[in-house]
Amino acid sequence: MSAERVPFSCGRTSLIAGNTFLEAVRQRLFLFLVLLAVALVTGARFFQSFDFGPDLGVASLKFTFDFGLGALVFFGSTLTITATAQLFFSEIENRTALTLLAKPVWRAEFIFGKFLGAWAVVGVFCALLTGLLAGLLWFRAREVLAANPEAFLHGGPVAPGDLVIVCVLQWLKFGVLAMITLLVASFSNTNLFSVVMGFFVLVICHLQSFAHQAYAHAEESSVAIGLMIKTLARVFPDFRLFDLAEQAGHEGGVNAALALRAAAYALTYVFVFGFLAVYSFRRREI
Amino acid sequence: MSAAADSAHPSAIELRGVTKDFPVGLRGLKLRAVDNLTLNVPAGQVFGLLGPNGSGKSTTIKIVLGLLEPTVGECRVVGVPSAQVESRRNVGYLPEAPYFYRYLSGAELVRFYARVCGVPRGRFDARVREVLDWVGLTGAADRRVGTYSKGMLQRVGLAQALVHDPRLVILDEPTAGVDPAGSADISQMILRLKSEGRTVLITSHLLAQIEDVCDRIAILDRGRLILEGAVAELVGRRDRQALIVEALPPGELAELRTWLAARGRVLESVEQPRARLDEIFLREVARAEGVNREARP
Ligand SMILES: Nc1ncnc2c1ncn2[C@@H]1O[C@H](COP(=O)(O)OP(=O)(O)OP(=O)(O)O)[C@@H](O)[C@H]1O
Ligand SMILES: [Mg+2]
Repeated sequence: MSAERVPFSCGRTSLIAGNTFLEAVRQRLFLFLVLLAVALVTGARFFQSFDFGPDLGVASLKFTFDFGLGALVFFGSTLTITATAQLFFSEIENRTALTLLAKPVWRAEFIFGKFLGAWAVVGVFCALLTGLLAGLLWFRAREVLAANPEAFLHGGPVAPGDLVIVCVLQWLKFGVLAMITLLVASFSNTNLFSVVMGFFVLVICHLQSFAHQAYAHAEESSVAIGLMIKTLARVFPDFRLFDLAEQAGHEGGVNAALALRAAAYALTYVFVFGFLAVYSFRRREI
Repeated sequence: MSAAADSAHPSAIELRGVTKDFPVGLRGLKLRAVDNLTLNVPAGQVFGLLGPNGSGKSTTIKIVLGLLEPTVGECRVVGVPSAQVESRRNVGYLPEAPYFYRYLSGAELVRFYARVCGVPRGRFDARVREVLDWVGLTGAADRRVGTYSKGMLQRVGLAQALVHDPRLVILDEPTAGVDPAGSADISQMILRLKSEGRTVLITSHLLAQIEDVCDRIAILDRGRLILEGAVAELVGRRDRQALIVEALPPGELAELRTWLAARGRVLESVEQPRARLDEIFLREVARAEGVNREARP
C-alpha cells in the first residue's frame, strides 16, 4: 500500500505567507512606515520652500517626484533585504520551523510562503509611499497652477497612471531582491550574513548595465574574460531595466511594452531564484 | 484508511542501521550522535526512548520526522521513507523545549497548525477548543503565546501536536517543566491515545512515568542502543511478591514468620510504605482548589 500523495498546496503556501505577514504587522514593522511618511512629507515641503520660483513649476514637480521615488527605492531596498532575512531567520532561530516542517509541508511551500509574506510587506510599503507621493504631486501641481496658470503648457506633471506603473515596477524589482535574499538565507547560518550578502547583490544588480556595456566590448578582449562577463550578466538580473522613471515625465509617458517586459523579466528571475532557494533549502538540517 | 495502514505496516516507525554524524569544528571533525541504530516501534503501542543527556534521543526523533537526514541507514514511518512529505501526514510532534510564534494567541496558534494539517474547514473552531480544553489551556487561549510560562508552552505544544488527530504522536520530553498535575494529565492522555489505537513515541527523564505508560522502551547511550524490550518483562520480578497489610503488632509479626518458616519460606523485609510526594502534592493542591472554589461564589 502506498500512502496518499500530498501535492504542493497553494493553500498551505498562502497560510504560511499570511502568518509571515501577520508577524511583520504584530512586530510593529509598519510603525516605521508612518515615521518615514512623516519625514518624507516634511522633507518635500522643506526643499520646496526655498528654490525654483513660480515659473519653474514643472521642475519643482519633477524634483518632488525624484525625491519621493528616491525614498521609495532606497528605503524599499533596505526594507526588502532586512525584512526578508529577519522573517526567515526568526523562524529558524526560534525553532518554529521545526514544528512547521514536521507537518506535511513541502520545503517549497515554506520558501514561497516566506517569500510571499515578505513581498506583501514590501507591497504595503510601496502602496503607501506611492499614494503619499501621488498626494504630494497633486497638491504641488495645484499650488503651481494657482501661481501660474500656464505653467503646464509645455509638458505637464507626471500622470498618476505613470506614477503607479513606475512604482509597481520597483515593487517587482523588490520581489527579485527578496528572492535573492531568501536564496542566500536558505544556506547561510546567520541573519547578518544574509543581509550583508543581500546588499552586496543589490549593488551588483544595479551595476549590471556596466557589465552589459563591458560585454559589448568583450568581443575584443580574451575569450575567458568575455565568458565570465557573459555569465555574470546572465546570473545577476539588471535592476536598471526597472527604472522607467526617466520616461515618466516626458511626452507619451511610460512605454507599456517596456514595462511589461520588465515585469516578465522580474517574474522569471523570481521563479528561477525561487527554485534555487528551494533546492538549497531542501536538504538543510533544521 | 488509517486502520488499513496500521495492519499493513505492523511497525509505525522502522529505523534500520541509522547513523548520524554532525560536523563539528573546521577540521572535518565529526560527532556521532546516533550510531548504527536499528529500532522498530510497533503500531498501537506506547514506546519510550530513554537515555542520558546527549545520547541522541532528539536526533533520532528528528530523523524520523525527516528534519535531519541520516548519514547512513534508512528510516520509514508507516512504511513511507522519512524523506517524503507523505510520511508526515499522520504524525503529531511536540519538540523538546518548544517555542512558538510569540505574536499569536494560543487559539490562533493551534488554529494555524490545524489549517496547515488540513483539518476540514468547518471543524476548526470546535477542534481547536477541544484540544485546548484537553491540555487545560482554555483560560489562556486568547493570550499571546509570548506571555506563556514554560509549562504552558509545553501544553500548547501538545495541543498543536494533537489537533489533526494523528495516528502517530511523537513527544520529546512532554513533561519537562510541567507541574505534577499536568504531568499526571499527560500520562492519562497518552493512555487514552493508546486505547484509541494510536502509536506514541515518547522521551522523558521521568522514569516513573515512563514505567507507568510505556509498553516498550529502548535505552540509548552515546547514540548506541544498549537495551530494548517490553517494560513488563524488564521490570517485573516473577519470583517476588509484596503484600501490604495493616500495621502488625510485634507478636503477630513473629507468628507470621513462624508460619512462613513452617512452609520453608522467609520473610525478606518489612517496610513502612511511604506516600509518594506526588500523591501528597496532587491531594493538597486539589484540596486547596476546592477551598478556593467554595470561597469564591
Ligand atoms: N545540530 C547539531 N550540530 C552538532 N551537534 C549536534 C546537533 N544536534 C545535536 N548534536 C549533538 O548530538 C548529540 C545528541 O543530541 P540529542 O539532542 O539527540 O540528545 P538527547 O538524547 O535528546 O539529549 P537530552 O536528554 O539532553 O535532550 C549531542 O552530543 C549533541 O551535542
Ligand atoms: Mg533531547
